[in-house]
Amino acid sequence: MQLYPEQQKTADESPLHPLDLLIIVGYLALITFVGLRLAGRVRSARDFFLAGRTLSWWVIGLSIIGTNIGANSYVGAAGNAFTIGIAQANFEWIGAIPAMIIAALVFIPLYWKAGVYSIPEYLGLRYNQTVRVVAALITSVVAVFAIGVALWAIALTLQTYLGWPIWVGITVTGTIVGAYSIAGGLAAVAFTDMFQVCIMFLGGLVIVGLGISQTGGFSGFVETLISENPNHLQAYLPADHESYPWPGVIFGLGLVLSPAYWWAGQAILQRSLGARTQWDASAGMMFAAFGKIFVPLLIVFPGLLALVMHAQIEYPDMALPWIIKNVLPPGISGLMFIAIIAALQSTIDSSVNSTSLMLTRDVRHVLIKNADPANDLKIGRLLTLFLLLLSMCTAPLVSEMGGIFTFLQTILSLFQGPMLALLILGAFTRRATPQAGLWTLISGVIVASATSYAGVNMLYVAFSSFIYALIALWVLSGVTPPHPDKDLSHLTYSPWSRS
Amino acid sequence: MDLANLPLEWANYLSIFGFLCLFVLVWFIPRHAVFEDAPDQSRWRDIRLWASLLIVLQLVIYAVFN
Repeated sequence: MQLYPEQQKTADESPLHPLDLLIIVGYLALITFVGLRLAGRVRSARDFFLAGRTLSWWVIGLSIIGTNIGANSYVGAAGNAFTIGIAQANFEWIGAIPAMIIAALVFIPLYWKAGVYSIPEYLGLRYNQTVRVVAALITSVVAVFAIGVALWAIALTLQTYLGWPIWVGITVTGTIVGAYSIAGGLAAVAFTDMFQVCIMFLGGLVIVGLGISQTGGFSGFVETLISENPNHLQAYLPADHESYPWPGVIFGLGLVLSPAYWWAGQAILQRSLGARTQWDASAGMMFAAFGKIFVPLLIVFPGLLALVMHAQIEYPDMALPWIIKNVLPPGISGLMFIAIIAALQSTIDSSVNSTSLMLTRDVRHVLIKNADPANDLKIGRLLTLFLLLLSMCTAPLVSEMGGIFTFLQTILSLFQGPMLALLILGAFTRRATPQAGLWTLISGVIVASATSYAGVNMLYVAFSSFIYALIALWVLSGVTPPHPDKDLSHLTYSPWSRS
Repeated sequence: MDLANLPLEWANYLSIFGFLCLFVLVWFIPRHAVFEDAPDQSRWRDIRLWASLLIVLQLVIYAVFN
């Protein structure tokens, strides 16, 4: 079917419809209201960081999806799908679901049994406090820049749709997110995430429905896609593909990067640690995995739709904006605009809360010997405010500091393989020792840096550094003093022995 | 072995093998560990069943897009 160059609109042809504006204002008011209503529940650091351990499985599941769909997901994934097709969905399927299942059944019960607030805290108990501080600091520094990127992305979106200057967008977003995050803590973050995910899926389903109807129904859509781009419905790309070779996707993404993200990501797992029961924590992660199956409808399908509709775009990342302008009627495009804002906001609020937790407890409690835990709530709120202000200051610099942000992201990815090895041997064996853990972490990052410097694909860097770290940790643990606590039953996974 | 020369169909075989291994591993986890803290012992609360359904859905998806 011949589509639609004549239908393609330009940016100045699509003024904001009053209904769009109503949806946007209504959303911002609702999120602020819900977040602030939960502020009254916060009376302690446990309430602030772990929602008083009151979250139910479905709130946790939706909040996990909201946190996971971030700044790059909407625009970047649609753009990649435009270029490589359904293979982009591997990041949501094999690059997430197996690791989420194991997180639900193994790691969440393990952290729950250890009684920790954070993953660095678990590593501190299992290895030593140096490993805890290093893990918390690296994650926190990267998070500040990631929050800055998300704020910048929201400000750009607001500028595109509402014509707001960048600084106004950053200030308004920072103020709204800050208000409910500082007042309501994790509970406010989780409940607003829940609303935000519902909006994202609603927006995604509207695009799918309208998109398919405009391309001659489902069969017409598939026929056009297959006839013009026969490889775009293949889940895996050839082994010699430059960016996403299938061995790299399975071994690097599926076996290393995805488990490192789902088993050690504080922003993700914090809502699980805030569950009302261990069962709710595990079921929440499993529920989120069901959601992940359908996430490609939101973030991959628009890229394929733009391809089928012969979108005339300068570069792939414009696929989603093109769809919003050309597929959604006035009044509904505001919904998709809100979905993008919601995705970014849910990432920002989760990152701010989890980073504040790590700095308050994992860094402050270790480095300041007489830190009073009674001050954790006050310090946590002040740090949340400080982190938001810092990110708001870095946000306008993001476009100029792309190199630095990429560098920080690379550092984090170099850290993933060794960190995963520490988690796996620490969780499943009693052999791993504190000194071996620290030296494996340091040397593993050096090995990963060296292979990355040699120009190896990042997916293979992650896998090779993980294998190195597994071997190094095993060998070094044989020649270093064992963990001072002989009974590691509360820190290792052993479901076959009833405690 | 040059990874770049590996045939594409191996990706599907490896995925299927991996998902089947995961399916078996899920059912090695004892029932009492899955129901820890659960409000009741209803069958639907057995998250090993949830995991199994997820794995079957993944197998179907990768079979369709192979």
